[in-house]
Amino acid sequence: MDTNQYIEVFLDESREHLQSVNDNLLKLEKQPEELTIVSEIFRSAHTLKGMAATMGFEDVASLTHQMENVLDKIRNGELVVTTEVIDVTFSAIEALEEMVESISNGNDGKKDVTELVSKLEKIENGSSTHELHESTPSKTSDTLFEMDEYQSTIISQAAEQGYQVVQITVQLNDDCILKAARAYMVFEKLENKGEIVQTIPSVEEIEEGNFEQDFSLLMVTKETNTDIEKVIHSVSEINQVEVSEFTLEKANNNEKQESKPESVTPDTNTEAPQGKQKQSKTIRVNLERIDNLMNLFEEVVIDRSRLEDLAQKLKEPELTETIENMTRVTEDMQGLMLSMRMVPVEQVFNRFPRMVRGLAKELEKEINLEITGADTELDRTVIDEIGDPLVHLIRNSLDHGVESPAKRRESGKPEEGNVSLRAFHSGNHVFIEIEDDGAGINRDKVEAKAIENGLLSAEHSEVLSDEEIYQLIFSSGFSTADQISDISGRGVGLDVVRSKIESLGGNIIVESEPGKGSKFSIQLPLTLSILSTLLVNVQDEIYAVPLSAIVETMLLDETQIMSVQGQKVIDFRGKVVPIVSLREIFDVPRQDESKEENAVVIIHKGDKMAGLLVDSFIGQKEVVLKSLGNYLRDVFAISGATILGDGQVSLIIDPNALVK
Amino acid sequence: MENYMKVIVFTLKGQRFGVDVQQVISIEKIQEITKVPRTSEFIKGVINLRGETIPIVDLKERLEIEQTESSPNNRFLIVQVEDVQVGLIVDSATDVLDINTDAIQPAPKMIGGVQEVFLQGVAKLESELLIMLDLGRVLDLEQTNEIKEIIE
Amino acid sequence: MANILITDDAAFMRMQMKDILTKLGHQVVGEAENGQDAVEKYQELQPELVTMDITMPEMNGVEAVREIKKINPDAKIIMCSAMGQQGMVVEAIQAGAKDFIVKPFTPDRIKESVEKVL
Repeated sequence: MDTNQYIEVFLDESREHLQSVNDNLLKLEKQPEELTIVSEIFRSAHTLKGMAATMGFEDVASLTHQMENVLDKIRNGELVVTTEVIDVTFSAIEALEEMVESISNGNDGKKDVTELVSKLEKIENGSSTHELHESTPSKTSDTLFEMDEYQSTIISQAAEQGYQVVQITVQLNDDCILKAARAYMVFEKLENKGEIVQTIPSVEEIEEGNFEQDFSLLMVTKETNTDIEKVIHSVSEINQVEVSEFTLEKANNNEKQESKPESVTPDTNTEAPQGKQKQSKTIRVNLERIDNLMNLFEEVVIDRSRLEDLAQKLKEPELTETIENMTRVTEDMQGLMLSMRMVPVEQVFNRFPRMVRGLAKELEKEINLEITGADTELDRTVIDEIGDPLVHLIRNSLDHGVESPAKRRESGKPEEGNVSLRAFHSGNHVFIEIEDDGAGINRDKVEAKAIENGLLSAEHSEVLSDEEIYQLIFSSGFSTADQISDISGRGVGLDVVRSKIESLGGNIIVESEPGKGSKFSIQLPLTLSILSTLLVNVQDEIYAVPLSAIVETMLLDETQIMSVQGQKVIDFRGKVVPIVSLREIFDVPRQDESKEENAVVIIHKGDKMAGLLVDSFIGQKEVVLKSLGNYLRDVFAISGATILGDGQVSLIIDPNALVK
Repeated sequence: MENYMKVIVFTLKGQRFGVDVQQVISIEKIQEITKVPRTSEFIKGVINLRGETIPIVDLKERLEIEQTESSPNNRFLIVQVEDVQVGLIVDSATDVLDINTDAIQPAPKMIGGVQEVFLQGVAKLESELLIMLDLGRVLDLEQTNEIKEIIE
Repeated sequence: MANILITDDAAFMRMQMKDILTKLGHQVVGEAENGQDAVEKYQELQPELVTMDITMPEMNGVEAVREIKKINPDAKIIMCSAMGQQGMVVEAIQAGAKDFIVKPFTPDRIKESVEKVL
């Protein structure tokens, strides 16, 4: 079957499931008793297996299959969750990720998984001895039924009562996989046609699927042979059915064997209740398609401006109105299209918990990773590029930042180190911070190294502040580790991190306090970002204030404004809050003297507040944040611009700059 | 062998100037400018150009040429120098000329009231002198930033 | 040719199944992504045949078979299972599923199953 058309979907879903297994494994490690998590993992592994098998990626399928076996045992209480189980499963997931990536790069996704499979098998068999592993198939070619007395009696009586005894041999298709279930279906069909006296192999073995492709049974029935054949053939995957008359003489010479017929008891495995999984209504769209859409859209916009010109010339009210409407709609469309490119930084962050877990083990450190702001959105392009620098910084924090448990105990810190990974919006940028509570940066070491490497002269170093010295670690060829460790010393320094971030139009700084820890802050441009804002009027101009910074809006009476040491303040819920007039700050010419500035937007930065005096509020609006471009960098209190529905550019205020 | 370059010709206070066509993205009609506070005087603000915000520089102010009355012929000349896109306000923009690069000569200290630093050279054509602008210099960010720092 | 409802939580699997069934000349009248969804769509679309994945969120395939059988005791349901789900398959058959197919699917196998069930 041509599967190429599905490969994208396959890859996307595989990655999704691997991620989910990843997340759930981490959860499971914390709550090993929680079987619903096991079920979740099982389900993902299971889906992966099915997909991989369909696509012909056999290594993926066989590894997931073995994972599934282990998980199934855990789910059924036959195996307990141990660190070993989690570790091996993690390695399996890693291998699977590699294979999936290999497939996505156009390779065949092949990988030698025998070692992992055998490790999993070991776990699977280790604690449960009664499990029949790959059992020796029973021989059924010589179908010789052996009768005990009871069975002989039934048969002879049946014959007397006009029943016939038939020997049935059913051969399943060679590719039939769930043989037991198939056999069960055959039994089910036969059940109301007569009584099954005996089977070869035994019912138990058939139930376990321990037979090659065929099994035989002895049955007392009134149906004709052809009818029985027909009934059995109504089941799928039946290759061949032989029905023949059976006489006691045929079995007489055989030894007795304990084998009693009984109705087939079904396996009563029931799945643990599925955890509620959020089902978001999404579809997958190739990024390229969105870009194509954008390009086409640009053309529409160009035609739109032509139409606008025409409308101006023709002065046809209906035409003008239509085009105005079209302009509004297209602006909205544009906003939507841009927002389609935005993805939560979660996509990058979610691989870190496992990485940190693995590294911590390797380094024999105890580390708790705290992630906040994973829902912060960044443009897809930035997301794709930011992963590696972050990996490097986190490795760095774990390796050089957080101390060994012993050392931490000595310095009176909890043995478990803390690494925080944060993402948030501020002004024109998205910030990503990596903070640890480790040893901090050793100024003397950095200084010495920098002087040694010729990055700095001894005289010059004296005048530099600690902060300035710390930034030297991003210089090319710099490494403070006394010895190159396996974790962060992979031949690339933080200079690579810095240049990568700079190539994305961002920058990186480090803050540190000896003994307390370090914080790396990455500032990334919001090339495209949707922001909720409040639009306000200042004279004829419209400014947008980010909703996230707004505490409240209110209308003021002249009398409520007081003056403290020349600074206008108001009393806001018992707090003295300074008031700044946007008109004055932005030097907006006063065109309309009658306009009274009596509307106040209370904004905050941390727990500090300020009131922005404006003329009036226009309303709330989701806007696409746009940079002012490279020409206008660092404009005071302006974090960017946005284009309003009427095509007018409106500036977005950076509240941080206005709260002192 | 003669080398030709295509040049966009525009006018400022009656004088004709030229810029390399490769630096020009488009020529747009004048539209409403949103002021950006606390920036240099010659930065008039930003416009919306097909969904992107483009800063607008009044080229006459930048080159310290006297102002002229606005006319329907005024245009934004959208130019790109390295990674910077800017719209320049010009009195009019009409011609595209092929100029023999050999005809471009170093500029004198001051020509057409424009300082040498902004000039790439002067192209001697049959009936006129065309002043070739060095857009990189015109848009020099260092100078812009200096001015901004003074304001702040 | 029959009207068929496909149930699987993996869009990928649904696509494959739909493709195969369509090529066999059947009409896929709906796709459900979990058991609950399948039960609702069954009621709404009244398909002649349902394909049912076993492990799914919300409601698994076996439960869905039971629910659908409550709506229509004659409902024709084919289970789609993977290796190693013997127990669940048997349970589904007991609940009234007419047949099962094992992933990876082959068009031939699906053809056989659909023909036998209808």
